[in-house]
Amino acid sequence: MGLFSRGKQSGRERRAMKDHLVELDDLRRKHLSELGAMTVEMADTGRFDRARLSEQAREVIGVDREADLITRGLEEGLTLEELEDLARGEDEPATDPGK
Amino acid sequence: MRKGALKKKQRQLEELHLDRREALGELVVGMYVQGSWDDEIMSRGAAEVREVAEELKSLDLPAGRSSEKSGDQDFPVTGEYTAEHDLPATGEHTAEHDLPATDEHTSGHSLPESGEPTAPHETPATATRSREYGAAGPKSAGPKSAGPKSAGPKSSPTKPEPVAPAAAKTASAKAVASEPGADRAPGSKTGAAKPSPGSQPEGAERPLLSKSGAGVRPDPIAAEPQQKLSELDQMAERIDRSQSAAKTAAEAAKAAAAADARTELSAITREIESDRGKLDSALSEAAGRIASAEKRATEAEARLARESAANREAAADWVRSQAAEIEADAALAAEIAAGSEAAGAAADASGDADRPELEARIKSLETALDAEKASRAEALTIAESRLKAIEQSARDAEKRVEEAEAAAASAGDATARGTPASTAATEAQAREAAVVWLRGQILALRMEIAKGETTGAGDDS
Repeated sequence: MGLFSRGKQSGRERRAMKDHLVELDDLRRKHLSELGAMTVEMADTGRFDRARLSEQAREVIGVDREADLITRGLEEGLTLEELEDLARGEDEPATDPGK
Repeated sequence: MRKGALKKKQRQLEELHLDRREALGELVVGMYVQGSWDDEIMSRGAAEVREVAEELKSLDLPAGRSSEKSGDQDFPVTGEYTAEHDLPATGEHTAEHDLPATDEHTSGHSLPESGEPTAPHETPATATRSREYGAAGPKSAGPKSAGPKSAGPKSSPTKPEPVAPAAAKTASAKAVASEPGADRAPGSKTGAAKPSPGSQPEGAERPLLSKSGAGVRPDPIAAEPQQKLSELDQMAERIDRSQSAAKTAAEAAKAAAAADARTELSAITREIESDRGKLDSALSEAAGRIASAEKRATEAEARLARESAANREAAADWVRSQAAEIEADAALAAEIAAGSEAAGAAADASGDADRPELEARIKSLETALDAEKASRAEALTIAESRLKAIEQSARDAEKRVEEAEAAAASAGDATARGTPASTAATEAQAREAAVVWLRGQILALRMEIAKGETTGAGDDS
C-alpha cells in the first residue's frame, strides 16, 4: 500500500509503534475498567451522571483513535513523521455525540 | 476446600470481575458514541458486575479466615488437603474429585457419626474442628443470608449503606494484613452484614491458635457445622459453575470479537482494494489523457511549423512580387520619361501626370473598337454567305417549281390525249400538294431572307 509513503518505515519505528499499541491496549482496558466501576457506583446511588460517563468515554474513544492510527501506520508502513501528519490531518474537531 | 483451589477460584473471579467491568465500560462507550443513554441497561450491567464482586467477596472471607488458621497449622481445619500436601494414601477425595465409591468422608459430606478421622495424618483436635465450623459458618452463611445474587441495584438501597464502611473497617482491622483476600473485605457488604457473629469467631480463633486447649472441650461435631461446610462447598460449586459459564461467555465474546475484527479487516481490505482499483483506473485514465494531450501538442507544433514555413514562403513571394512591380514601375517610368522627351519640352513643362493613363485608355478603347469591327465584319461575312446559300436554295426551289409546272403541263397534255380519268385525278392531287409545299418553301425562304437583312442592318447600325 503506502499511499502516503514518502519514505520507508524503519524497524525501530515499527517496534516503537507496536510497543505503543500494546500500551494503548492496556490503557484502554484501564479506562474501560474505570468506566465500568464508575457506572457501578452510579448504579448504587441510583443516579447516572452522564457528564462524568461521557468524559470517561471520551478518553476511551481517544485511546481508540490513537490505536487505530498506530494500526494504520503499521499496516501501511508509515514513518513517524507521516503518522504525525496524518494525526494532525485527522485531528479536526468532531461533534460530541454524548451531548 | 483446598487453599490452592480457592486461590485459583479467587483469581478467576477477579478476572471475571475485571472482564465484566470492561464490558460495562464498553457498553457505556457504545451508548456515548450512539448518543442514546439507557439507564436500565446500565443498571443491569452494573448488577452483573456487582454480582461477581459479591461472589468474589464471599469467597474472600472464608478464604481469609481459613488461611488465617491454616497458616498456623499443617493442614486446614476442614480436613481437606491443599496443594501443600500430598494426596492421602487412602485416596481420600476432595471437592475437586468425584465422590468416592467407598463412602469415604469428604468435605462435601457429613462427617461420619463416629467422628472417625479419614485423613491419614494427625487428627486435628475435635474442638478445633468444631470451632472452625463455628467460625466459618456465619461467614459462609453471610452472603446467602444477605442474598446478594438475587439482589439488584434496586434492592441495594435497602441495605444499610452508611454502616458498611464502619463495619468494613472493623472487619479489616480484625483481618490479618498478610492475607491477600483480606483487602477486599472493606468494601464488602457481606462484612457489613455480620457484625453479630464477630464475637464468636474471635472466641473460636483462640482454641485454634492454641493447640493445648484442643482436648479440653468436648467434640460437638453436629449437623449444623456440617451443613454449613456443605454450604461452603455448594457455594464453591456454584462459583465453579458461574466461573465456567463466565469463561465460556468470555471465550464466546473473544471469538465474536475476533470474528468481528476479521470481518472488519476483510471489509477494510476490500475497501482498500476497491479504492486501489479506482486509483489505478484513474491513473491509467490520466496517463491516457496525458498521452493524448502530448500527441495533440506534437501535432499542433508540427502544424505551427508548417504554417510558419508557408507564411515565410508567402512573405518571400510577396516580397518578390513587390520587387517585380517596383522594377516594372521603374521600367515604365523610364519609358514614360523617354516618351515625354520625344513629345517635347512643353509637355515636360506642363508635367501632366495623367497622360500615360489616358494614352493607355485610348489604346485600350481603340483595341476594343478594332475587335468589335473585326467581329462585325466576321458576322457580316457569315450573314452574306448564309444569304447566298438561302438565295441559292430559293433559286433551286424555283427551278424545281418550274420543273414541276412543266411536268404538270406535260401531264395535262397526256390527259388530253386520252388517259384514264382516275389517273388524271391523282395527278391533279399531286400537283396541288406540290404547289402547296412549294408555296410553303418559298414563304420560308423569304422569311429567312428578311431576317438576314434585318440582322445586317442592325450590325451596320
